[in-house]
Amino acid sequence: MTSISPECNELKKQYDDCFNKWYANKFLQGDTSPACEQIFTLYRACIWKAIKEKNLDQLISDARKEKPFNAANDTSSNT
Amino acid sequence: MVQFLSLKTQIHHSWPNVTQAVWQKYPNPFASHVLSSDVIDRNVNPITGVMTTTRLFLKKGVMPKWGRSLFNVRDAFIMEQSTVDPRDCTMVTVTRNLSHTKIMVVEETQTYTTTTPQTASAASAAAQTLLAPITQLRTDVRIISNTGWAPIKSRIEGFGLTRFKDNTIRSSQGLLHVLENLTHAQRSETA
Repeated sequence: MTSISPECNELKKQYDDCFNKWYANKFLQGDTSPACEQIFTLYRACIWKAIKEKNLDQLISDARKEKPFNAANDTSSNT
Repeated sequence: MVQFLSLKTQIHHSWPNVTQAVWQKYPNPFASHVLSSDVIDRNVNPITGVMTTTRLFLKKGVMPKWGRSLFNVRDAFIMEQSTVDPRDCTMVTVTRNLSHTKIMVVEETQTYTTTTPQTASAASAAAQTLLAPITQLRTDVRIISNTGWAPIKSRIEGFGLTRFKDNTIRSSQGLLHVLENLTHAQRSETA
């Protein structure tokens, strides 16, 4: 599946590959310590750049203030 | 007016596999309308071990022909926020459209759980939960039309509901397709 921005496709692929392995082999086995952080930082930066360019950041932050998304915002740390 | 819809289904695959398939769901042959999918935020709570994820999807054409002449609606951005609790074996995804909310808001909550274990000991209950090849899926939907014009309002909500039922079928076909590929790959790995 492609990314919202063609520029992020390669980073997305690398991150998804890393995440899917971590999720199956670590997270579901009870080891919830984060992995794939480096690649996620790069991929996330690429995506958020595209989100801002498409003027979606305001829509997203508004949605996060409203139900049903406001309930899920907690104080967890970044992966 | 708001319309509610709730349905329960069983997926004949283990909970860990089903949740993996949710992450790997796109692309699949039943989801040609999904144009893009991205994880925009993700974190794991270090105390509870619960993972929270926000995904952004772009989906193609959401309006029927009669609606297209009334509203200038093309593709729609959809946001999904989810939590996975690996200790409780519970995954909850909440999805809502970000675009065209002035016309209609469709909110969908899907809860993936295992069957309640019958055994007394917690350890063997957990083991049984992971092995049981059945996942319970509960889907709750809320459709809200936001246009002020009553005849159009009810027509939109009716459309939303019909479309939702069609989508639910296609969506589970897609998930099952991904699950088959996933379990096939797992079998070849262990073989």
